[in-house]
Amino acid sequence: MDNALLTRYSRHILLPELDYAGQLKLTKSRALIIGAGGLASPVAMYLASSGVGQIVLVDFDKVEVSNLQRQIMHGNADIGRAKVDSAKETLSGLNPETEIITINRRLAEGELREQVKLANIILETTDNFESRFLLNRICVEQRKPLISGSVIRFEGQLSTFRCDLTDSPCYQCLYTETEALEETCSQNGVLAPVVGIIGSLQATEALKVLAGIGTDLAGRLMLFNALNMEWRTLKLKKDPDCPICSAT
Amino acid sequence: MAKIIFTSNLERHCHCPTKIVVGNTVIEVLKNYFSEYPAIQSYVLDDQDKLRKNMLIAVNNEIISDRVTLLDPVKENDEVFVLQALSGG
Repeated sequence: MDNALLTRYSRHILLPELDYAGQLKLTKSRALIIGAGGLASPVAMYLASSGVGQIVLVDFDKVEVSNLQRQIMHGNADIGRAKVDSAKETLSGLNPETEIITINRRLAEGELREQVKLANIILETTDNFESRFLLNRICVEQRKPLISGSVIRFEGQLSTFRCDLTDSPCYQCLYTETEALEETCSQNGVLAPVVGIIGSLQATEALKVLAGIGTDLAGRLMLFNALNMEWRTLKLKKDPDCPICSAT
Repeated sequence: MAKIIFTSNLERHCHCPTKIVVGNTVIEVLKNYFSEYPAIQSYVLDDQDKLRKNMLIAVNNEIISDRVTLLDPVKENDEVFVLQALSGG
């Protein structure tokens, strides 16, 4: 790292837990973010500003005016643009040192597997269970850490699934694959900062896992309720009968 | 007697206040609660009394693993927390 980068990342490097070595790990890392909406906004913005070397953004949506209340990496001028294009502009503006790779379509399973294989960490920010279960299955298969966040109304959930570690539960140890009715933010609403809070925590977990510092949320599900400002952390065990991770 | 708490997101569907309920297992606690608040039952259990796939239950903040019989023991002063999967992003 040259002097300009040392200055850019100095507040990280000052942290003894992170230090120069941790920052160097971040700059050599590749993060795959599935989705470029509400949760992805703080996730991508913090990973970019923190100096993660490569960020791959996957989304097939265009920016709509109803997104702007919470999807803070898009602005008024971006309405009608592909979200990944709008996001790339914002992220490159935050930190031109981070390479932003955009994929403006829904990935087939094989393509998603290839992207997971290339990444050091995967962040799930989509709004549907189908994507969450598929991504979990691929992360278990490829042994890659998965940071999962979800929100609705005033509530958020967050966990880190260390699919790269054999004794760590996966998303499907927590939830059984289901076609149950999904509750989406577009149908039920969501308080904008709740998305920011959970997304920021996803970014925090990602930076810790990439740098190899601290204790992550593996084996725990963190719940946030903004209406009464309460946090709750639930313990989660690996399911010995999990159809996805029990054989690994 | 155990305390049963439902995540506030479920309150939107029907009234399910926090209560102190009798029961020595998760299913007993749930059934005793549902006898007073029947409307919430179908959100939590399917028609065979199994936990719905999008629901979770934790006893003293530990997620239970038996989703079928719900026979995990519940002791005096335990807390049973009922929540649902979120998919919004």
